[in-house]
Amino acid sequence: MQFNFGKWFGTRAISVIVAVLFCLLLDKVMQGPDKSYYRFLMSLAGIYVTLAVSLNLINGITGQFSIGHAAFYQIGAYTGAVLAANKFSHLAATKPLLWLFLAALFGAIAAGLAGLIVGLPSLRLKGDYLAVVTLGIGEIVTIIAKNQKSLGEAYGLSTAKIESVFLISLLAIVCIAVCRNLLKSAHGLAFLAVREDEVASAAMGVNLTRVKVTAFVLGSAFAGAAGALYAHTKAFVSPPDFSMDVSFLILTMVVLGGTGSITGTTIAAVVLFLIPEKMRDLPYVQMGTPLGVAIGIIVAVVLLRKIQESFHGSASERLGRNLGSVGIGIVVAFVMAKVLVMVPAFQSMINGALFRMPVLAVTLVVLMLLRPQGIFGHHEFSWSWVQKLLGKKSPETEVAA
Amino acid sequence: MSLLKLEQATIKFGGLVAVNSVSFELEKGDLFGLIGPNGAGKTTCFNIITGVYAPTSGKINFDGRDITGTPSNKIAQQGICRTFQNIRLFHSLSSLENVVVGGFLRHKTVLGSALCYLPSAIKETDELKAKAMELLELVDLADVANTRSRDLPYGKQRRLEIARALATQPKLLLLDEPAAGMNPQEKMELLQMVKKIRDVLGVTVLLIEHDMKFVMNLCERILVLDHGEEIAQGPPAEIRSNPKVIAAYLGEAV
Amino acid sequence: MLDLVSLNVAGLDFTTLPQQLVNGFLLGAIYALVALGYTMVYGVLKLINFAHGEVFMLGSYGAMFASWMMGFGPGGSAVAGSWVTLLLMLLMAMLVSGSAGFVIERFAYRPIRNHPRIASLITAIGLSLLLQYGGQAFLLEGKKQAITSKVNPFSDDFVFTPKKADAALVAQAAALQPEVDAAQKAFDARLPFEKSKFELSPEGDRLNKALAEITAKRDSLQNQATTSAVTIRLPKGKLIMLTTTILLMIGLWYLVMKTRMGRAMRAVSVDFNASSLMGINLNTVISFTFILGSVLAGAGAMMYSTFQSAPIDPFSGTAPGVKAFVAAVLGGIGNIPGAVVGAILMGVAENLVTWAGYSSYRDAIAFVILIAVLLFKPGGLLGSNKVEKV
Repeated sequence: MQFNFGKWFGTRAISVIVAVLFCLLLDKVMQGPDKSYYRFLMSLAGIYVTLAVSLNLINGITGQFSIGHAAFYQIGAYTGAVLAANKFSHLAATKPLLWLFLAALFGAIAAGLAGLIVGLPSLRLKGDYLAVVTLGIGEIVTIIAKNQKSLGEAYGLSTAKIESVFLISLLAIVCIAVCRNLLKSAHGLAFLAVREDEVASAAMGVNLTRVKVTAFVLGSAFAGAAGALYAHTKAFVSPPDFSMDVSFLILTMVVLGGTGSITGTTIAAVVLFLIPEKMRDLPYVQMGTPLGVAIGIIVAVVLLRKIQESFHGSASERLGRNLGSVGIGIVVAFVMAKVLVMVPAFQSMINGALFRMPVLAVTLVVLMLLRPQGIFGHHEFSWSWVQKLLGKKSPETEVAA
Repeated sequence: MSLLKLEQATIKFGGLVAVNSVSFELEKGDLFGLIGPNGAGKTTCFNIITGVYAPTSGKINFDGRDITGTPSNKIAQQGICRTFQNIRLFHSLSSLENVVVGGFLRHKTVLGSALCYLPSAIKETDELKAKAMELLELVDLADVANTRSRDLPYGKQRRLEIARALATQPKLLLLDEPAAGMNPQEKMELLQMVKKIRDVLGVTVLLIEHDMKFVMNLCERILVLDHGEEIAQGPPAEIRSNPKVIAAYLGEAV
Repeated sequence: MLDLVSLNVAGLDFTTLPQQLVNGFLLGAIYALVALGYTMVYGVLKLINFAHGEVFMLGSYGAMFASWMMGFGPGGSAVAGSWVTLLLMLLMAMLVSGSAGFVIERFAYRPIRNHPRIASLITAIGLSLLLQYGGQAFLLEGKKQAITSKVNPFSDDFVFTPKKADAALVAQAAALQPEVDAAQKAFDARLPFEKSKFELSPEGDRLNKALAEITAKRDSLQNQATTSAVTIRLPKGKLIMLTTTILLMIGLWYLVMKTRMGRAMRAVSVDFNASSLMGINLNTVISFTFILGSVLAGAGAMMYSTFQSAPIDPFSGTAPGVKAFVAAVLGGIGNIPGAVVGAILMGVAENLVTWAGYSSYRDAIAFVILIAVLLFKPGGLLGSNKVEKV
């Protein structure tokens, strides 16, 4: 296919304009004092999308198993918070949006540098060893923050409150766009090649060091920018916001969405962030209820796995059986919940909000049992795919594009 | 002047001397065979040449330059590329993408333009894909260009590895047991293909192979290794009657 | 002999160093029990079992509930424990942990064993979160608990004194004793009926001050004499702990090196697929490995919460779990002696950091050492740095 500059420019220009307008619209919709909660949710969702997609670049695309992504997030957040509280307090007060943009930039630079420092020596390590080192770096960063007076020790730092759904959603979109562009180019294939087989990629002339360090620096920089924006959204940073659990949560988003799939990672990030957030204000329940639900889930999972293993009928029959199993699970959950609460031992009240993390954990385990490649596998969203789904014939095949 | 020259190349793993003071020279346009019993150090020789391991002592010269101890990717850039004994394709990439990765080392655009999806990067990617397609046609895999390489049958995977290696535009191609696991028909086709690679593309070929018929028919010169040491070197006719070689391959009709 | 006082550098008290080293060794022994579980599971499955810390946590709950059943709970009537109490607690902890390990492997890891390794890793993380936060909901509302020190009948210490107190100082202090006695006597002799009034009078004040002065001088000398000595206190409980740990490790060594099952385990860790072709029942071996590792973690948990008086809550497994894991990697993951060496190094390093006055960084030191070691020896201390076969 011949490259057509006019078409390229047209598509690019429209995409950029649409993206900016979308972010502006989102910002507009989220304005107003009565929407502060939704604004906060929206901002955090955008931040988590950035974090997950940037970790996907390191983990999913380049295959470097990093489980300490919160470290770079934290470095960005503290950089933003410290600068806003000291050197740039004037700017932050007078031109908040400009400052927020700069803060994201500084956060990205600081985290990117950290990524470089971590990435270079870590190149000697592979697989699990690399994972442990990144985990360790995450812990070390948190512990340092906890013990530095200038960083507010265990309590944390407060900083200027500047909310901008616009900048946050723009960052998320830029992050997604950069990863998508990378994958569309021959450069991206080199990254994927490193994930697939390091020895072979080196033999094909791919510079392993450069690819890995680039992935680390780029991924960390986006996490740092997200951190700086987070600091100003919440107006406060403290060490628990960047604990190992946060790293695990981001990692979960990547794996759940389908390692390497940008689309899947994005969707998983939003869903996994919203589930626990929405469960914060659950009412008190009797202990029997969650136990009953747990039994229902176990029954459904066992049935679904049996179908996966030993049913070889048509797709529609399979779907029917799957739905049936889920139905049985739900019925069992209801019945068991009703039965169990009649037992005196299971009548004590439990705060429903305590079930935030268990639900997340159960989602993880169940998904790994039923669909370990993640929801999207290696697949990506594409327009030709939508067209196929709608029954139209795709105008050009993927190869030609 | 010789294209590749090994001088007293030696490598030791702990106490084991895997390759002991091996020397040979390849002229431009050679079809050179490397044979020997299992564990003779053939693949290790390849690994020394392509920079997977640095030799303990000795020198390797390629195209007038000393490449001893140069990292793999730099050696590929200078024009040596290889295939692997145990196939090492990028399994979840398509055939075409595998070959594009091979061609990537000649890229000119910077990463930034790829990240921003600039015309230069798109054009280059398109060019690489077009070239890759040509190579796939050469190895007769054009019909499976979009198939994931792990889903290809064994013989096709071997040919895809050759196409991928050729995409790096090598001056010297190292083939590690290219005919392993192929049936006689496939072997014949492979033989023709290797000849074509040398004659049409002008690539010098060094290959390891266990199938004696294949090697004797294809190669113009052969080096025999045993226990890491050279035991014979010469044209196929000489090798066939060399008593040392017969001893090493005792019982096998050479 | 040891003249540590003269080495007093940068405000560090070297006379307490031996004691800290011993403490570190004892702590390291517990880490070793936990690290063995990580390393064995990694050996056979190449899986980082992140839920191992939670198996440890469940073990400490097991020990605590056992002690409650024997009347050491809140409002319990029991007064002092015995050998039997401790043994029952140990067995209970091992039982709880062992079953937890078995269940986790059977129902979470086994179904996805043939999937990519990352799936098992994510499952491990998921299980770990599930046990932590599920524990918060169901285990005594996640409140901090502790095993009462009453269960431990061996609370007194063995005291070792590798370096005696400075004889000159002791003599000087002793020499001052007559003077102290004399001052006391002088004061007492002049003491009229009403003590408080006398103390306020000029003469009483003078005598009182003289007494105080000479007493202070003697006390200071005595104090100097004591700190010049190097004493190591070894609580008997911790000695039991160490003995148990060593016995368990000998048991493990025997199991792994001398029995059929151990040989199967080693075979699986060398080559998973080949060993299954050789007729080894992988499921049995893997289950056994998990149970073995978990039982050791349970024993470690019981001793950690009983003899080190560590508090128990649903998150109390995380810190020792992570440290033990780091220890396993430090020694070369998959390598059994490596795990022990790594764990002891880790325990000692942690106590040294505390001793040097940076106790808030004690959790970071594990990782600093780990990173430093891995950069120079990417396979860990005793691990073989395998070259990938091309």
